[in-house]
Amino acid sequence: MQLNRDYLDQQVLDRLSTLQLHARLPMLGSVSGAHRSPIRGSSLEFAEYRKYVPGDDTRRLDWRAYARNDRYYIKEFEADTNLRMCIVLDTSGSMDFANNGISKLNYARRLAGSLAYIAARQGDAVGLYCAGSDTSGTSEQDKGFHTQIPPKRGTVHLSTVLDELGEAEAAGETGLANSLHKMAERVPQRALIIVFSDLFIDPEALRNCFQHLRFRKHDVVAFHLLERSELEFQFDRPMRFIDMEGGEPVLADPTIIATQYQRALETYLESMTEVIRDTEVDYHRIRIDEDYSDVLARFLLGRTPKKRK
Amino acid sequence: MSFLQPLALIALPLITLPILIHLINQQRHRTLPWGAMMFLMSAKRMSKGMAQLRHLLIMLMRMLAVGTLVFVVSRPLAGGWLGCVGLGKVNVTLILLDRSASMEMTDLQTGESKRSAALKKVAQLLEQSGYGTHLILIDSTNGQAHKVDSPKALLNLPMTEATATSTDIPGMFESAIAYLKANNSGRADLWICSDLNEHDWQPDSGRWAAVREEFSQLEGTHHFLLAYADRPSSNLSVSVENVRQRKSSSGAELIFDVAVQAEARNSGERRVPIEFEVNNIRSVVELELETWGASLQGHRIPIDARLSSGWGSVRLPGDVNPLDNRFFFVFSEPPVRSAVIVSDDARIGEAFRRALAIPAEAGLQHRIDVIPVARVGEIDWENTGLLIWQAPLSQGNIAEQIESFVNTGRSVLFFPPIQSSSNPRLVKDSDSSEHLFGSRWGGWQTPEQELSKITWWRGDADLLANVDSGNALPLNELRTYRYCNLETPGTTLARYGDDNPMLTRMATDRGGVYFCSTLPTAQFSSLERDGVVFYVMLHRALAEGCRSLAVTSQRDAGASVFADRDQWEVVEPAAEDAPTLSQRGLHAGVYRDDKYWAAVNRSRAEDSTKVTPIATVDELFDGLSYRRIDVAVGDTSALASEIWRTFLVAMGLALIVEAVLSLPSKRAEQKSLGDFTIAGRSGN
Repeated sequence: MQLNRDYLDQQVLDRLSTLQLHARLPMLGSVSGAHRSPIRGSSLEFAEYRKYVPGDDTRRLDWRAYARNDRYYIKEFEADTNLRMCIVLDTSGSMDFANNGISKLNYARRLAGSLAYIAARQGDAVGLYCAGSDTSGTSEQDKGFHTQIPPKRGTVHLSTVLDELGEAEAAGETGLANSLHKMAERVPQRALIIVFSDLFIDPEALRNCFQHLRFRKHDVVAFHLLERSELEFQFDRPMRFIDMEGGEPVLADPTIIATQYQRALETYLESMTEVIRDTEVDYHRIRIDEDYSDVLARFLLGRTPKKRK
Repeated sequence: MSFLQPLALIALPLITLPILIHLINQQRHRTLPWGAMMFLMSAKRMSKGMAQLRHLLIMLMRMLAVGTLVFVVSRPLAGGWLGCVGLGKVNVTLILLDRSASMEMTDLQTGESKRSAALKKVAQLLEQSGYGTHLILIDSTNGQAHKVDSPKALLNLPMTEATATSTDIPGMFESAIAYLKANNSGRADLWICSDLNEHDWQPDSGRWAAVREEFSQLEGTHHFLLAYADRPSSNLSVSVENVRQRKSSSGAELIFDVAVQAEARNSGERRVPIEFEVNNIRSVVELELETWGASLQGHRIPIDARLSSGWGSVRLPGDVNPLDNRFFFVFSEPPVRSAVIVSDDARIGEAFRRALAIPAEAGLQHRIDVIPVARVGEIDWENTGLLIWQAPLSQGNIAEQIESFVNTGRSVLFFPPIQSSSNPRLVKDSDSSEHLFGSRWGGWQTPEQELSKITWWRGDADLLANVDSGNALPLNELRTYRYCNLETPGTTLARYGDDNPMLTRMATDRGGVYFCSTLPTAQFSSLERDGVVFYVMLHRALAEGCRSLAVTSQRDAGASVFADRDQWEVVEPAAEDAPTLSQRGLHAGVYRDDKYWAAVNRSRAEDSTKVTPIATVDELFDGLSYRRIDVAVGDTSALASEIWRTFLVAMGLALIVEAVLSLPSKRAEQKSLGDFTIAGRSGN
């Protein structure tokens, strides 16, 4: 597979080539794949015994069990299927923030592109949803999304996804909450939904979104991207802060309000932690000066299932 | 508060520097696109309460630090009262230093006198705070103004040294006024250093009203009184009176009275040794001290009979005031007491002669001459002590001679003239229009019997003073049948029942001039018949007039004490302790000019413990810009001390508080990065 996207690093992909992307919940795929399915299948991996009921395929009767117990048992095996991975990229204006380094959007682009590549490589379907403001989108159905690419398999589709990913631009207010709710409604089957965002929204609103997604049996992953200066808020002179999402500029002396800023941030992060705990979302708080390959490796390794006995 | 570098206060507006820097800093802000606006807005909301107060305090601390730095540079002064006065820019500073003997009270611990301590304090203060373009010292001995180069020079000037003189404080103020007026001095500070001795201050003098009036017209004049009013707990002073030399069975002897005065609070030694020194022969007598002191009446010391004059001294052991521990005296054989009676009436002249011919004391010689007016030219003015003029008031040369006679310290008694003794025709008003000493005789009067009595006389001083025992002279027994009206500006010493004067004294620089309005003979009064008053009055006038005939004299120290002669030499103290030529007369000692001797001592008033009450002193400056500083002799602290260190400490504290307030919150710092990375947190 040949790639020429700037945000993808071949060396990183090579390094991650030994790792696979696993879903933590059973997935309903269209083809056979590497992920568990809620439906019993014909893989080599034994799942369970169950009593025979008329209509069952007699080829699946375990005759040995019949010989021992004089009863009919159907021997069931796990079904392996592929997954649908939906990448939700927050393209609100704040994602374009970069202070002497890479922007959060670019960082998210690298993470998302790499994961898309890995998923496609293992035969999973990949889709892309760029969440913009509530007013974005051309039709009523598209409201809240700049880009909607439903998950599909294949390299051509991957190429489309990566192209759209490369062209995504951050602008306007965030509409992530609405977008996630729409995602929950729109994606009919179980899917792996990976959100890349700075999550600068009300934690309670986010809690509703995640609960909605979890209710629809989606495996939700959230990459919370933050820039170092946003965390430290250390400036040596008064600053005129321009709201990247279009709000009023604010003139403030960071030396005066730094403590209050830190306190507000701390409260927010604590609330976010609580939301994650309640919604059981696979949450990753990332500072974007961290090497993204480490983040990906940690993410993939963390999702590797334990060996079945 | 006052400042040594007040110009530095120009920089005081720099306290707004932190505000300006803050505002400039606000203007030079950096623009930054920012994503996490939700935290920023929340922080802005939270910073409106305590945080704003904190930063306001930081700003105040910075301003305080700058302000105190400016104050440190301006070198502020403080000294209790001085902090309230404020030493502004002054054109001239006048120092009125009381150099009287009582100012030599010394603190035994520091060894400094009131005068010396006051000088040092004022010099130090002026050195620090400035004294304008001129620093003037008013000499308390003569009232002259001396320009002084610098405050430090005050400490070494002969015009600031100790003297045995008394001080005329109102006179010093008058000299200060004269100087200020003559030089149009503008803003002036007057520093008065004194112990508030009542004799020196003369609080009852009418001159104070004039002084106040003059100063109230001089704008920008401030008075600072450095008052050393405290009295020592123990001090003795000695004086000698009535020094007489007379023949005795063994040759000759000196007789004199010694008085030792003690401070009221004295409770130390109950016996005090007194050392006498006469002709270099010393003797010591111990006196028992009472609470008021001690006295030794009629103490006799034998001397060489061949000695016609000499000197001596009485000395006390050293105490807090060295100037009142020694008293000098001189002695000589008493002069012949000579009086001349000018009268055309033989009977009246004889009455005077008889009264004067009898000496009041044994050993005195009297010579009395009675001459008519026509032979006035024969009077031996040089050797006469008393002139009794019972004749019309003279004019021309005779009047001038009489005035000159008075100016040499002699006495003149004027009695009214009559035309003839045998057939007296009383002088009419028109007959006597001549004036002498501002007075002239009027017409004769015959008062009613009740009004002829002497109803009032001055018994505390002068010719009619009470006798030594304290008893009054029997003037109330006198009868006056005729008296002559007198027009005079003099001071009445005795008056009749109708308020007309019987005896009047004229004001003179030296000598005594008296006018008696009746005559001693029986036709006019009972003066001759009753005798006592007549006798005492004439002999006192004779004694006073003959005092200037003596070759020895006791004098109070003062600038004009040797005005009568100009060849005085110092006899004691001798050698290096002898005062310089300019300071002669200001210091106690014995002086000699040929056959004349003079013992110069402090005025007895300097021994007085009477201090002018503080309230009275304050009243003397009523309506003037005046500040009193009460100081003790042992108080070595400066009048004003620099307090820049206090401001430096305040600045340091302000900076520390500012630093503490500016410290970032540890809590926020830790939370900002700690426990940040969370990976894979889920319930799966």
